Amino acid sequence: MDYTITTVAWIVLLPFFAFVINAFIVKKVPNVAVGISCAAIFGSFLLSGRIFFDFVFGKYSADYHVHKVFNWFDLNGGGQEFVMKMGIYIDNMTAMMLFMVTGVAFLIHIFSTYYMKEDTRYGRFFVYMSLFTSAMLGLVLSDNLISFFIFWELMGFCSYSLIGFYYEKEDAGNANIKAFMTTRIGDVFFLLGILAIYFQVGSFTFVDIYAAISSGMFTDATVTIFGFGLPLALIASLAIFMGTIGKSAQFPLQVWLPDAMMGPTPCSALIHAATMVAAGVYLSLRMFPLYEIHPFMLPFIATIGGITALGAATIALVQTDFKAVLAYSTISQLGYMVLGVGVGAYNAAFMHLITHAIFKACLFLAAGSVIHSLHDHHTHQHVQEMPRMGGLKNKMKFTWFAMWCCTFAIAGVPFFSGFVSKDRILGDALVMAMHNPYYWFPATLGFIGALLTAFYMCRMMFLAFHGEPRDKDLYDHIHEEKFSWNRNLPLLILALFTLGVWFSGSLTGQKLVKVASDKVEWFDTLIVKPKTENFKNYQKQNWGPVDIKSTISFPVSKYDSNHGLSEEEAHHVHSVHSIGAIASIIIAFSGIFIAFMMYIRKSWNPGWWVNTFSTWYRALQNKYYFDDMYIKGIIQKGLIPVNNFLAWVDMGIYDKYAIDGWEKVNRCAFTVSKWFDNIFVDTIAVDGTGASVRAFNVILRTFQSGKIQFYIIMIILVLSSYIWSLA
Amino acid sequence: MFDSVLFLLSAILIVVGSLGVLFIKENIMHACVALLTALFGVAGAYAVLGADFLAATQLVVYVGGVVILMLFAVMLTGGGAANENKFGIEKIPAMGNVKTYIIAGVNVLVISLVVIKIMANVMQDYKAVALPAYESTVEKLGTLLVTDHVLAFEVSSILLLGALVGAAVIARPIGSTK
Amino acid sequence: MNSMYPFLFLSFFMFVIGLGVMIARKNIIAMLLGIELILNASALNFVTYTRFVNQNLDGHIMSLFIIIIAAAEAAVGLAIVIRFFQVRESIHIDDAAQLQA
Repeated sequence: MDYTITTVAWIVLLPFFAFVINAFIVKKVPNVAVGISCAAIFGSFLLSGRIFFDFVFGKYSADYHVHKVFNWFDLNGGGQEFVMKMGIYIDNMTAMMLFMVTGVAFLIHIFSTYYMKEDTRYGRFFVYMSLFTSAMLGLVLSDNLISFFIFWELMGFCSYSLIGFYYEKEDAGNANIKAFMTTRIGDVFFLLGILAIYFQVGSFTFVDIYAAISSGMFTDATVTIFGFGLPLALIASLAIFMGTIGKSAQFPLQVWLPDAMMGPTPCSALIHAATMVAAGVYLSLRMFPLYEIHPFMLPFIATIGGITALGAATIALVQTDFKAVLAYSTISQLGYMVLGVGVGAYNAAFMHLITHAIFKACLFLAAGSVIHSLHDHHTHQHVQEMPRMGGLKNKMKFTWFAMWCCTFAIAGVPFFSGFVSKDRILGDALVMAMHNPYYWFPATLGFIGALLTAFYMCRMMFLAFHGEPRDKDLYDHIHEEKFSWNRNLPLLILALFTLGVWFSGSLTGQKLVKVASDKVEWFDTLIVKPKTENFKNYQKQNWGPVDIKSTISFPVSKYDSNHGLSEEEAHHVHSVHSIGAIASIIIAFSGIFIAFMMYIRKSWNPGWWVNTFSTWYRALQNKYYFDDMYIKGIIQKGLIPVNNFLAWVDMGIYDKYAIDGWEKVNRCAFTVSKWFDNIFVDTIAVDGTGASVRAFNVILRTFQSGKIQFYIIMIILVLSSYIWSLA
Repeated sequence: MFDSVLFLLSAILIVVGSLGVLFIKENIMHACVALLTALFGVAGAYAVLGADFLAATQLVVYVGGVVILMLFAVMLTGGGAANENKFGIEKIPAMGNVKTYIIAGVNVLVISLVVIKIMANVMQDYKAVALPAYESTVEKLGTLLVTDHVLAFEVSSILLLGALVGAAVIARPIGSTK
Repeated sequence: MNSMYPFLFLSFFMFVIGLGVMIARKNIIAMLLGIELILNASALNFVTYTRFVNQNLDGHIMSLFIIIIAAAEAAVGLAIVIRFFQVRESIHIDDAAQLQA
């Protein structure tokens, strides 16, 4: 396949043009707008699929990538070189992301035609969705941090619009502001990190950054902040990781994502499960070589991920809102991905990103299917509360089936995708813990979180779909679910891809016979950490649309089954992974078993736990008081006093003394200058000139009288004086 | 004796004529006649000094030319009738007040001192020499004018021509541009 | 006459009277008369010194040119007076205190 910018950019441009066209026609012909959006995303899906199949089946090399650049603008002059380059960077990770994003987005578009059909702003939703998808695809294709950041912010705006889609609701309005402002904190640091990297590397491009890393540019570089020379690698990593924290809703900026469930459920599926929050993890994976430099960084990331994974899982235990459970499970799973980054499980983290995107999109769509069915005829609202559900299995078979598949996946049941990916993250965490005892902490958090994940997901399923209907009136009004292409087909397709075989096996055919062994996974082969030394040579090459492949040959990588370790170490790793896998299976089934005992058999009373640990229960219900802490603590105690203080400074000091004082100074200066003007300039200089001229005039007029006879007298006088003095 | 008588007459004419020019204010014509008297006296003094050609020239040019010119001017300007200040500029302070008299006094003092100083030197340095006998100066003057002083002679002719043309142009009636 | 002092005093007297005329008389023609007196006084002085000091007729030549210049001066001066009278209808010297008509 010929990769040029003009062929690849259509992946981004198709949804973008759909957005532009729809923005004009959506008021008149919303159905056409919906059709255009779906067609555009399907076109992107086909193009992405072509790239995906080319990369995965055609090239099948971990090192193969395509890098095309063009000059965006050129500010060269006066010896300063500043060429802003844009471009595309496609490696295996990009290809998979493109395929996942377009596929999931296309299915969500299809589902949205069902879910949003009755909505008054049916068409506008697709306008935002198109722009959002376009931004995400642009971010994935970006070859440099600046365009990455542009699309990153564009997604922030789209999520703002989609979260506040029902802007009549005050909660939705507050939620989108909260989401926007919270992610903004991370984005500011992200931008600072970009600049920190730029000033060291002199380029925004990923390959330049990799080359700089491999040439040791970051090893000893320091940045001076308030007089302290801090390692640049640490500062830049932390700043960029702050972007991940904000966008991927990591501790401590996780507060926006649960509130973001105010948006329509399909947009939750797209934005807050599959793509946008994944962008943060994607950024972490792209910048992974930078994180590796400073020894402090990866343990820090792992700790953040572990805390997020466990903390969100515990909060999800007590949620009664159907979507809130999913929201917290999203945060928790994102925590696992970040944990995976932190423990160096590069391809496991990316795999979890893909698998999570699929099963969480499916879960949200299924939740949308459920919520859309539960229509309260008294309040005319959709019902999201699990206590009013129960026994839905009988009414919606397809949704129930798809949701159980996803629940098994997220819980880590064997042969489902979540088991493959999460087990690898936890296994790598265990391996790291063997080497560095510190990693026991995040690894333990991850394992406890895995238990809780299995529990709360099954709790949700049991409460919603099993048992007796708790709200009989609501239950009776539910229509029997019949198979429809735009409601059930996306769910079933996504459910199909929750099977672990897609990710663990060898899709490519080369190693088909070895499917049983986990050593030949295609994912493991294709997704490896960027080998930064490969990029060393094209730091200084001429820019332009250069095909990297044509300048440097990349041999098809020979899969190293030992991860580059010695035989003994590889055996050790393998055994640790086996222990981790067994532990994961035990944990997953015990979580399901606990849920089963509590909510189906009702042998164990959940109320006992609630009463016994009532303090913790309240803490969990209040989300560890994070919102309270932010609002009461930081905002009310911190920001508002600061705000008031600044207002006081502004009005009390600045306005009063500086502005008014300046006015006084001006007035005083005006008075002085007026006085000066009157006295010196007018009176002395101007009038004084005239007066002096007049005074001299009185004297000189005596001589210059026009009287010839007086002149004669003076001539005689002067001549006589000459003669007197000369004679 | 003849010389002394002639000198005395000439001196009387000069003194009387000069004083007449100075003091005759009623009629400017009389002042012209007084000037004529003084110029006659000067011609007599020239004769005493042996400058016969100059004495004749004095009579011819001055008495016959300049004074007649003056009389024409007096007649053309209305004589004494125009003897008052028409525009009343006499009140400007340069003339006729204390300051003017102070200046005039200083003037007189300075001139007197200068004259005394010059005259004192001259009188000290003067030694009587033997005076040459009277002889005609016409031939010598003629020789000098066309030999040593020929340039001045020619230039003076141009001067007279310019003065003639200039006087004619200046005295032209108002409005006549031709 | 063997002494030049009478001539010098005579010349001085004429000169001072001429100056007096120049200063005191308000009539422009009278002032021209004073100028004639002054010129004659200087001419008389030249002739006196020729007679009593160097005796080479240069004083005569000088006197002759003085007469020529006096004639020219009288012609131009009187023309100016006539012109002035045409403009101002006056021959008072104080009426000529301004350059502009």
